[in-house]
Amino acid sequence: MLQRFLDPAVLGQLKSLDLVAKTVVDGFISGLHRSPDFGFSPEFAEYRAYYPGDDLRHVDWNVFARTERMYLKRYRGETNCQVNVLLDTSGSMKFGSKGMQKLDYAKFLAASVLYLAHLQRDAAGLVVFDDEVRNFVQPSTRQGQLHRLLHGVSEAQLGKRTDLMRPFAHLMDFLRRRGMVAVISDFWEAPEKVIEMVAPLRYRGNEVVLFHLLDPEEIRPKLKHPVMLEDLETGEMMEVTPDYAAHEYRDKMNAHLQDIESRAKGAGMDYFLVDTSRPLDAALREYLALRTGRL
Amino acid sequence: MGFLTPWFLAGVVGVGLPIWLHLLKRHKSDPRPFPSLMFFERREQSSVVHRRLDHILLFILRTLMLVLLALLFANPFINRTTPKAAGKKMVVVAVDDSFSMRAAASGTSGESRLDKAKREALDIISGIPATTAAEVVALGGTVQAMTQQTTDPAELRGAVAAIKPSDSRASFGELARFTRTLAESSKMPIDVHLVSDLQKSAMPPGFTDLRLTGDTTLILHPVGGEIPNWTVENVKAPIHVYDPKRVRIQATIAGFGTPAATRTVSLVLNGKVVQSKPVDVPAAADHQPGRAQVEFNELAASYGPNRCEVRIDSADALPGDDGFPFSVERADPKKILFIDNGRHPYAEKYYRTALDSSTDAAFVLDPQRPETAATANLAGYSLIVLDDLGPLPPGLEENLQRYVNPGKSLLVVLGPASVAMPKVPVEGDPIQPGASYAARETERFLTVSDIDSGHPMMKGLERLEGVSFYQAVRVAASKDAHVIAKLNDQTPLLLERPIGQGKVMVFTSTFDNVSNDLPVHGAYWVPFVLQSATYLGGGGAEQPVNVAVDSYVELRTGESKNTAAEVLDQDGKRALSLEEATTAKTYQLTREGFFDVKTASGQRSLIAAHADRRESDLTVIPQDALDLWKGTGSGGAGGDGAGGTADQKTTPWSLSPLLLLLLLLVALAESVVANGYLRAPEERQEGARKEAA
Repeated sequence: MLQRFLDPAVLGQLKSLDLVAKTVVDGFISGLHRSPDFGFSPEFAEYRAYYPGDDLRHVDWNVFARTERMYLKRYRGETNCQVNVLLDTSGSMKFGSKGMQKLDYAKFLAASVLYLAHLQRDAAGLVVFDDEVRNFVQPSTRQGQLHRLLHGVSEAQLGKRTDLMRPFAHLMDFLRRRGMVAVISDFWEAPEKVIEMVAPLRYRGNEVVLFHLLDPEEIRPKLKHPVMLEDLETGEMMEVTPDYAAHEYRDKMNAHLQDIESRAKGAGMDYFLVDTSRPLDAALREYLALRTGRL
Repeated sequence: MGFLTPWFLAGVVGVGLPIWLHLLKRHKSDPRPFPSLMFFERREQSSVVHRRLDHILLFILRTLMLVLLALLFANPFINRTTPKAAGKKMVVVAVDDSFSMRAAASGTSGESRLDKAKREALDIISGIPATTAAEVVALGGTVQAMTQQTTDPAELRGAVAAIKPSDSRASFGELARFTRTLAESSKMPIDVHLVSDLQKSAMPPGFTDLRLTGDTTLILHPVGGEIPNWTVENVKAPIHVYDPKRVRIQATIAGFGTPAATRTVSLVLNGKVVQSKPVDVPAAADHQPGRAQVEFNELAASYGPNRCEVRIDSADALPGDDGFPFSVERADPKKILFIDNGRHPYAEKYYRTALDSSTDAAFVLDPQRPETAATANLAGYSLIVLDDLGPLPPGLEENLQRYVNPGKSLLVVLGPASVAMPKVPVEGDPIQPGASYAARETERFLTVSDIDSGHPMMKGLERLEGVSFYQAVRVAASKDAHVIAKLNDQTPLLLERPIGQGKVMVFTSTFDNVSNDLPVHGAYWVPFVLQSATYLGGGGAEQPVNVAVDSYVELRTGESKNTAAEVLDQDGKRALSLEEATTAKTYQLTREGFFDVKTASGQRSLIAAHADRRESDLTVIPQDALDLWKGTGSGGAGGDGAGGTADQKTTPWSLSPLLLLLLLLVALAESVVANGYLRAPEERQEGARKEAA
């Protein structure tokens, strides 16, 4: 299997976001086995008997010629669902220890997911938010939708604080059809609060995927000297010792990650921790492998 | 221990700087951004750890540097006690022998103040213990030591007897300076006995010049009081007399502390009274003398130097200042040759008028045509003026050059006739084509813009303001020519060039009122003509002949070393030894009277020296000023900060040099330590590896 793991720093040098998405997704698809088990592949899946009222365009006329019975051809990927990507652009997304901000990584991830949905011919939409909804691209399969989506992603600017309440309430007003909602955020909130706000999406039969984007320095900060840390969202300053960061902080962080994962799974959501130091396509592959296991 | 400037100790607060650098500055490091402080807690411990001093040695050195610097500026001192010369002291007997000491002492019959002072000095000497060294000094314009420091009373008495009345002006500032120097060198307490009339005019301008050292005790012995005194304060007379009928001698008669009175003023010429006039002198008031002026307008002096004097009948206690000697020299008027071809008829008229307007008629004008002058003997003229002749007749330029080269002067006036000439006659600077005209389309006239106001010819002429020049000949001044005045278009108006031993002055506009209106500005024209005639025809600067006692006369310049100078004093005796006659550059006139001086260059002059008339004011120094003066020595509470017991002397000893050395060492150490810290980490590791190896 051909695998290309793309360094996020290398992707960052690509100016065009659609090129980034194609680079990530095409390389990743070409390395997969042609297996019907994978949900995003537009492969033939089954025949179904025609019932009056079905769309005649999907009738397999070759089978009808041979058998004089009308069957409809169904494809694996033809789920006809909506895919909405919620991209967090709050101030904390500015952080980045490896020369790349979390927001850039999130943009690549969002673009890749949207591109995948486009290949799947799903209606894809985008919500860019911080404490307000900053941009909203309504889900659609119209021509040029991918361009609108990628433009929306690339124009996303760093905002202020994270507030999941408003964007999710906003999204609830527009979600008419069931589909998939991918939330890309660093979720610097209490886990119960996060799940409490995201859970309503689940009630309408939507599939919710939480991409939890974190920098390795956030998970395991390494300090040599006591330093003054400044909260990127609130501007609060606090002096931190290396000893605290090495022990107590890590314990709290691990507990936080476990808590949010367990709560997400308990609420029937997919949770996937994305380490921004890892290659994007590798992260995406891993996620899809996990997702396949569920299908 | 103390500090001379303790306010500088406030600089110690600068210690805060290294504390800030080493402690607080590091504490306030730039904040590091972090996405969220959700999982962090405030801990006081971090700050405590943070405030640990970095680079403790460097911190100590820097703090020490600042403290030392503040101490250095505060100028610390410690009092060192040094033993005095056990019980020893020195006595200085200063006898005032200035001009005023010739006055009669009050309460005596005809005895002068100096005689009384000498008697007083002898009494002082007799009271000096046999083991105490003493010195007698005479106090005039300078302090003259009459003896070495001695314990021999006979020698001291002889020195007192040798003091003669002088014509100098006393200066108590000089005495104070002498005692300070003596105290510094002898390291002994000094008793200064000043026997003087304590004249107020002997005080120096600044009281600080009178200060005495802490070991000096001033004991005053006044020998005279305030008495009224008449004097001839000043005489203004010309140095040269050319016409005995046109002489102006002004004398100022002053009365110090005198009532209003009529005095008879006499003019004495070579020992004979030639004129006498009564003068009413007002009364002195408010410490200001009464003054009156007398003028004599005739002096039948004989040719050569004459000894003159203005004298009054005062009948006061100081007859020495009743006469004011001065010297005049009778001479023929100097002849000025004015060569003119009649082109500018007004030029000669204006020039002659200006010369005739002088009070002393020092010059006579002799006009001639150029053709005559070409063959004339010019040696008898002190100055020749060429008035815009144009092309010179044959032989005139050669004749003029022969005249100028030995040291005479020529004044060349240029005008329209000279424009076509290639160069200035005799002087030789090229004349540029075309005269400088003030054209109507530009400026209506030119004015003088630059002037050498320090030149003797330009004295009091300012910038010839208001004088308009309509035409001037453009002369290209050569390098050795000195441009004295320029017009505002930069055309030289007056320039001087040395030719041989003599000099040629060029005036580039005419002397009539056609090319300029200078001749009709009498306030400028007359001084210009007279000063130029004096400067060019007078043979250079002359030595002043009427001077105050203690002035110096110049005997030779650096160029005349091998010829002898000669000075005959007022008694007709040679004042110079043979060696002095050949080497001395100056001679100080220490006595009043007439001195016949022949300089090394052969110039003879009769110099009259008069006593400084401030000596005529016999007002005594007020008692409070005298007390203040005595107070600057050990007689007062102030002193120079010296204290201690009778046998010991406490002197402040500055610690600044030691502190400066210490500061230097600390600064060096700081540099070395800081350099070690500031090296790159790799460099430090390399050094550590080397040390380990």
